[in-house]
Amino acid sequence: MVATGLLDHPFKEGYAARLGALPGAAHAWIDGLRQTARGILNASGLPGPKNEAWKFTPLGELSKIPFIPAATADDIDVREVPRGVPSIPGAQRVVLVNGVVNTALSDPLDALPGLRIESFKQLLVREPQTLKPFLGGIASSGALPLAALNAAYMADGLVIMTAKNFAGATLHIVSIGAAGAEPLAFHPRNIIALETGARLTVVETHIGLPGQSYLANPVTEISLADNASLRRYVSVAEDADAFHFATTSVALAAHSSFETFHLGLGGAKVRQEVRAALNGAGADCCMNGVYALTAKQHHDLTTVVEHHVPHGTSSQLVKGVVDGQSHGVFQGRIHVARDAQKTDARQLHKALFLSKGPEVDCKPELEIFADDVQCAHGAATGELDREHLFYLMARGLDRDTARALLVAGFLDEAVATISDENVRAVFSDMVNGWLKRRGV
Amino acid sequence: MAASTQTAAAVREVEAYKYGFVTDIESDRAPKGLSEDIVRFISAKKNEPAWMLEWRLKAYRTWLTLADDEPAWAKLHYPKIDYQESYYYAAPKQKPKLNSLDEVDPQLLETYKKLGIPLQEQQILSGVAVDAVFDSVSVATTYKKKLQEMGVIFCPISEAVQTHPELVQKYLGSVVPVADNFFATLNSAVFTDGSFVYIPKGLRCPMELSTYFRINEKNTGQFERTLIIADEGSYVSYLEGCTAPQRDENQLHAAVVELIALDDAEIKYSTVQNWYPGDKDGKGGIYNFVTKRGACRGKNSKIMWTQVETGSAITWKYPSCILQGDNSVGEFYSVAITNNHQQADTGTKMIHLGKNTRSKIISKGISAGKSSNTYRGLVRIQGKADGARNYTQCDSLLIGHTCGAHTVPYIENRNPTAQTEHEATTSKISEDQLFYCLQRGMNTEEAVSLIVNGFCKEVLQTLPMEFAVEAQKLVAISLEGSVG
Repeated sequence: MVATGLLDHPFKEGYAARLGALPGAAHAWIDGLRQTARGILNASGLPGPKNEAWKFTPLGELSKIPFIPAATADDIDVREVPRGVPSIPGAQRVVLVNGVVNTALSDPLDALPGLRIESFKQLLVREPQTLKPFLGGIASSGALPLAALNAAYMADGLVIMTAKNFAGATLHIVSIGAAGAEPLAFHPRNIIALETGARLTVVETHIGLPGQSYLANPVTEISLADNASLRRYVSVAEDADAFHFATTSVALAAHSSFETFHLGLGGAKVRQEVRAALNGAGADCCMNGVYALTAKQHHDLTTVVEHHVPHGTSSQLVKGVVDGQSHGVFQGRIHVARDAQKTDARQLHKALFLSKGPEVDCKPELEIFADDVQCAHGAATGELDREHLFYLMARGLDRDTARALLVAGFLDEAVATISDENVRAVFSDMVNGWLKRRGV
Repeated sequence: MAASTQTAAAVREVEAYKYGFVTDIESDRAPKGLSEDIVRFISAKKNEPAWMLEWRLKAYRTWLTLADDEPAWAKLHYPKIDYQESYYYAAPKQKPKLNSLDEVDPQLLETYKKLGIPLQEQQILSGVAVDAVFDSVSVATTYKKKLQEMGVIFCPISEAVQTHPELVQKYLGSVVPVADNFFATLNSAVFTDGSFVYIPKGLRCPMELSTYFRINEKNTGQFERTLIIADEGSYVSYLEGCTAPQRDENQLHAAVVELIALDDAEIKYSTVQNWYPGDKDGKGGIYNFVTKRGACRGKNSKIMWTQVETGSAITWKYPSCILQGDNSVGEFYSVAITNNHQQADTGTKMIHLGKNTRSKIISKGISAGKSSNTYRGLVRIQGKADGARNYTQCDSLLIGHTCGAHTVPYIENRNPTAQTEHEATTSKISEDQLFYCLQRGMNTEEAVSLIVNGFCKEVLQTLPMEFAVEAQKLVAISLEGSVG
């Protein structure tokens, strides 16, 4: 469908000029990626309400903010990891400030044999051919306006690659957003590539420092070779005035597995778009998530699961609670191609209203071209069931305790799907902390 | 898998379209194309008052501004329509005034007989009043007198414009505004005829009101306009059924139906749509772009849409309810069957505005052959709709591996006390069920027909008796040749 949401956007020539020469520009294919993306961006602008995929999260307001490239802001000095960042037991920590690896705050990058962690910028300059099989091939700029914006200005990020049959490790990536005197934007490009049979757990904490508005626009391209297994747990708690639009595209080869969990706790406007393509038979994809919103927060979780080959399985469970004047959005599309017989795809989204004022929009979508499949989706919105409250109160609990128990239990069903128990505990604490702060 | 092998073989032997015949009647048609003059021509043909012409012209001028807004979001693929290549008016040769059925053109009556609606018999036997629309002009209205005695107005809308202008002016375009969407605006400019129904206060309309639409003239787009008003405390059940002759060129159809239910009133609107779907290679068939919307304007009012969609090459249709009155109820029951190269993008919108409004959506989509079948629906709960409730269930059945079944629901909730639920499943006919039936001596076709009818039962049983029987047969006929 043609993107008709033509809007003026702030990332024009002035922005590009300020940024100067981008890393890897000497290589024609990298420059080509950037030029194509810039062409797409200039032709269609940032998505508006008439762009079907962005109907519930139009970006018109961005055109009013004079973002500068984060790399050109020289008044930012982050010396320590913010206190809100949880500690993940046994995890190796990598810290990015405004999309750039900060070695001072990170653990040594080369600590684990078989696991390569590099800055995207360095690799782009030093050995771009390593990136060629992945870059721009998994997350294409064509239908993804924010990925195009990222491709046009990508300068740094993180590249994570494993050796064959890498036995497993936990990485904790802390991404800090911080603006100085002017609102700024950064477009990190991350690549995670797991070789055959490799296993890896990645925890991402996106957190913001209070101050001017900033826009975090990361794109993560993930490639899973045969039998590889990646667990990725993402939490987003940006600053109240910050924008966060993350695009993740995953390519799954035969019998690989991808487990992801997205926790959305804040930012002025947040969209997490996760797209998985099951390209090899027997691949398994599990995408779960929780969002908890208050004030005027806007959170959009968009998922696209494409079953291209037989015997794929996918499941999704997303739960949300909304308070204040917040706006929760869930869009989930399951596409089953003609050849993807014996697919089993499931999806469930439930949202709970904590007060009068919020809005929840959801659009679960099934697109099925194969007949011998099992596909189902469900979506429900509403407030707490009075009978459940009554049941607990009849057993001696006061109203507030009963309510808190029910809300926590509602969200816990999704959090409990996290298979890494350390991460599960950390995420559970974050959710419960949010509920406590809201007085739920 | 045995079934699908047989399916493939049988797809090639699709039964010729049962209702495929063309009646040769000299017709009085406007020149090809669309312009302000054509709008004036149609209005003049109908002897319309000035306000009606003004209304049409306003719509036409609006339509010109919508040139870039022809809906493209539906999962439908068809060549771009050249609106200047259609005829916008065709009427069967007019006799001055008909006093009885004997005066109706015998050729017309013969046509109805082939369609299975011999007027005289229906008049005497079935108790159904039939307002038959042949191409765009109503030629006979039965039972009118009896209904008239009770205060029911049931007549062609062109007649209502003359006889009840105050009602038409008050309600026409009040549910589907002139500028609502590309196709509705086009209809507003060039609609030729349709039905008008008014049920007075407190009356339970004693019979099912029924209209048969039929597209007959080559290259004629049909633009019906239906307006039904149920005044306080009244009830009416309205049936609409369609068949059309076989032909090669695609025909454009853009109807508008508006329903208005005042306090405590109830409207039940049932459709069986069986227009020419094109041949097995996807050649020909009707393009059906319909805007149907009902307003539950009064307290405790209820509107119920039931549709059985088996025909048309392209179906673009979303019968909707605007639940304005407190405690009002909207229901949508749909069976959509697509076969061969048919494409359907159909569903509903339930807009909850009033308190304690309730809506229920049951949609059953069956796709076979190389067809594409999409459910697209919107449930919107506005901030003031305290205690609103929605339940949606969409099930899709795929027959064969060359078709597609899609579900695109939109759920927008702005009220915490409202509850919405949506469930959708997609599957194929279970081998177990098929085996069970075959084992008991049924052939595959009978078995599939039985299973599919069971799959649709929840919807079919909401149809009035006369239609339920026809619809069940239709389900079987539509799948003939596709399931072996």
